[in-house]
Amino acid sequence: MECTIIAETSGNSIHPITAQLVGAASSLGAVPTVVVPGGIGAEDAASIDGVSKVVSVVGDCFSTFDGGAWASAISPQCSGVVIAGATSIGREVASRVAAKKGIPIIQDATGLASGITITRPIYSGKAVETSTVSGDCVITLRANAFDAAGSGGSASVNVVDQSADVSIAVKEAISKASERLDVSEADIIISGGRGIGQKENFSHLDEVADLIGAAVGASRAVVDEWGMPHSMQVGQTGKTVTPSLYIAVGISGAIQHLAGMRSSKYIVAINKDPDAPIFGVADYGIVATWEEAVPALKSALAAL
Amino acid sequence: MPYEALDFYDVDSLLTDEERMVRDMVRDFVDEEVIPKIEHACRDGVFPDEWRVALGEMGVLGAPLEGYDCPGLSYTAYGVICRELERGDSGLRSFASVQGSLAMYPIWDFGSEEQKQHYLPKMASGEWIGCFGLTEPDYGSNPGDMITKAEDMGDYYLLNGAKMWITNGTIAQLAVVWAKLDGVIRGFIVEKDDPGFSAPEMKGKHSLKASVTSELVFQDCKIPKDRILPGVKGLRGPFSCLNNARYGISWGAVGAAQACFDSAKDYALSRIQFTHPIASYQLVQNKLAWMLREITKAQLLAYHLGQKKDAGTWIPEHISLAKMNNVDIALEIAREARDIHGANGILDEYCIMRHMANLESVKTYEGTHDIHNLILGRHITGIQAFTREL
Amino acid sequence: MTIAVLLKQVPDTTAKISVNGGRVDENAVSKWSFSPYDEYALEAALQLKESAGGDLVAITAGPARCEKLLRDAAAVGADTLVHVSAENINDLDSTQVQNLLAAAVQKSGASVIFCGKQAADTNAGSTGPGVAELIGASCVTLVSEVSSDGSEYTATRPSSAGHEKVAVSAPCVFALDKGITEMRRPNVRGIMMAKKKPIETWSVDDLGIDIGATGVSIDSHSPPAEKPPGQKFEGAESVSTVVGKLRDEANVI
Repeated sequence: MECTIIAETSGNSIHPITAQLVGAASSLGAVPTVVVPGGIGAEDAASIDGVSKVVSVVGDCFSTFDGGAWASAISPQCSGVVIAGATSIGREVASRVAAKKGIPIIQDATGLASGITITRPIYSGKAVETSTVSGDCVITLRANAFDAAGSGGSASVNVVDQSADVSIAVKEAISKASERLDVSEADIIISGGRGIGQKENFSHLDEVADLIGAAVGASRAVVDEWGMPHSMQVGQTGKTVTPSLYIAVGISGAIQHLAGMRSSKYIVAINKDPDAPIFGVADYGIVATWEEAVPALKSALAAL
Repeated sequence: MPYEALDFYDVDSLLTDEERMVRDMVRDFVDEEVIPKIEHACRDGVFPDEWRVALGEMGVLGAPLEGYDCPGLSYTAYGVICRELERGDSGLRSFASVQGSLAMYPIWDFGSEEQKQHYLPKMASGEWIGCFGLTEPDYGSNPGDMITKAEDMGDYYLLNGAKMWITNGTIAQLAVVWAKLDGVIRGFIVEKDDPGFSAPEMKGKHSLKASVTSELVFQDCKIPKDRILPGVKGLRGPFSCLNNARYGISWGAVGAAQACFDSAKDYALSRIQFTHPIASYQLVQNKLAWMLREITKAQLLAYHLGQKKDAGTWIPEHISLAKMNNVDIALEIAREARDIHGANGILDEYCIMRHMANLESVKTYEGTHDIHNLILGRHITGIQAFTREL
Repeated sequence: MTIAVLLKQVPDTTAKISVNGGRVDENAVSKWSFSPYDEYALEAALQLKESAGGDLVAITAGPARCEKLLRDAAAVGADTLVHVSAENINDLDSTQVQNLLAAAVQKSGASVIFCGKQAADTNAGSTGPGVAELIGASCVTLVSEVSSDGSEYTATRPSSAGHEKVAVSAPCVFALDKGITEMRRPNVRGIMMAKKKPIETWSVDDLGIDIGATGVSIDSHSPPAEKPPGQKFEGAESVSTVVGKLRDEANVI
């Protein structure tokens, strides 16, 4: 099966998802060509196991992100089944490549089997779709859903000089706003309750939140007693949230709190009381003091 | 849990597309702007001014009135608006009822052309708030014996007396006041700055806390001659207004009941006692089933009454029955819901106790429960039982 | 100038999704709504129309139920309503849908097009860039704000350093992320006008295109795998284990 992978880059190197894309292609029996937009990290790509060759596409157009231009430059190098990461850049470039070639695209696959049979979550994970594609197509894969291929390969790197017209001009860079996400819009929330002792200790949760782009929430008890902002309150009279991941630290799990977060996709509870009701709704419960568990959480997340 | 409106018999499928769009607009407003703020408004005892602005912007004030920048919706749509608002809070619905049915309506129906053009656009947009002065400290169910009086002084009217339990009184720019002129009840438009007029707020309510309730005091209050409503004399004036407001209440109470049911259902499903959700116990299911039964009947009553209002085939007794029944069951549902919530039911984390306390007022205002029974009793027998010689 | 907004009707994100006979049961959907990012697209399109002038055409593709979506768009200010009739939209693949939408955009004469960054049903995000490709337009994705100085358009999008403002010329497509303003609430006057507004229904034949056959066949829809029962760990040393599970088992970080 002919297969092309569009590499994902991150800064000056290849993004780890690229090895996962290769791993997924290998599982289908393919020996893929890896196309590296802008040539960043092409040597890294060549060292991934199972790659037949690397095509490093270099050109002026890669200095700014314009999905249309990128797709124009790399599309001639893509053939057969095209696989990219379901990242924001990957999705956009892949959509353009599919439209250019007039072939279907399936985004955000979490499973692949030969055929090609593709599994992907739909309705934000409330259902799963299995479909079969015949002929050429474009597929984007969810990060961390596939095993990464190992390293040690030594594929050849062909450099192709190919640019395209860029139609997007960057006018102004705006540095990252320091304000934190609101709990009602965050995909990950870390919340604290009375168990963390005092208001000042929320700074530890802030640090964890910064690592993973999470919002910081709070139980009603601490909002009322410690004067935390009401906008942080999760629960019956606060916000009802449904993030992918909700981490409850030092929250016992009163029914009013559970009402606001029990529909979260995954719940992690950290509490020193093994009988705390929060463990009843937790997917992963950790019986530990927050003083020990939060620093451990921080270092584990930083190591990802 | 998001609000899933209970509509067991798909009654809302009978609404027009336009009515459903109005419903969704008001429902979103209540979800986004009212429910997150209502408990604080109640604790503070204020009616948030941004709700006035939003109601005006949505264009729902005076819903069934046509012309003069009024919405021109059906009475059914007006009912749906009341239901959605009262799902938020009875105080909010009261604001809209008073503005539309009790202040705008009499100007629209009984006012002079100049009065309509002057007042109605400003009231439809929410810029001006109106209130309605009928009830007096000593004359509640028996407004015909009111003692507030107006005297014709040649180039002005002089008003003396007092009104009580007046929703919106203190925040209103105008009051439609019913007073006796030469022994005949007439309507007058009193403006906030008229000399001799004051509207002190009544404090200490345990009910409708997010609604302003006031006295209206007239001490040699001078009113220009062009402020009398020319189109009506006698109790027919205020009673016409009350018919429309009561009609809205019959829908509104369903909204409060639905809110209580929704909360009770969610609570029963998530509250674990004796290792199982309390929703799995027969006594709780019995309560929920009874609520469903009564809400469904009330919805059908309200909808059919709306159709009769729109077709013009209604009589006041139809409205009495619906107001009385729907408020009565809503109050009972609030009490049962409180019971299902256990001790948590008394906290303002849940809407229950607030609706329950509100509905105690709703049961009494706009014709008490018992007065509506007497209205029906007179209709059935032809014998009035409001008064007799002792 | 004609501005188009591409809208998709999806089950409300709070609605329960149930599977029946190997397919998501549309009859069991309690409430259909705008896809949430499409609301930001519509609001951004309305704001551009108000500041730069022009006619806003709302386009949706799908079965008859989608007409409600167009009425809702009209109630907040869409001028022209276009329903690309496709009863079988769920059987079409992304390329076919993009062809329908691209043809409708071209027939409408729009040169600036707004859409959501992804729809709440497929969560894919192919439509904006795909339609842009088919009509030869620039496309900026993950946009939070759009403005115009009359000749070119400025959009705010995320960058590695935070955000950046980028300029593009028409024809262009903006795929909106959560914007800076929520979609405005309609009012009664808008609703009454929306009721009277005609909906133009365009079939594949009206669009004069051949969308071909799909290479994708949907085998089945199924409910998500049952989550394993909660797992409980003792001590802070288990934190790294849990983080690993969050990454590999739950796939949420």
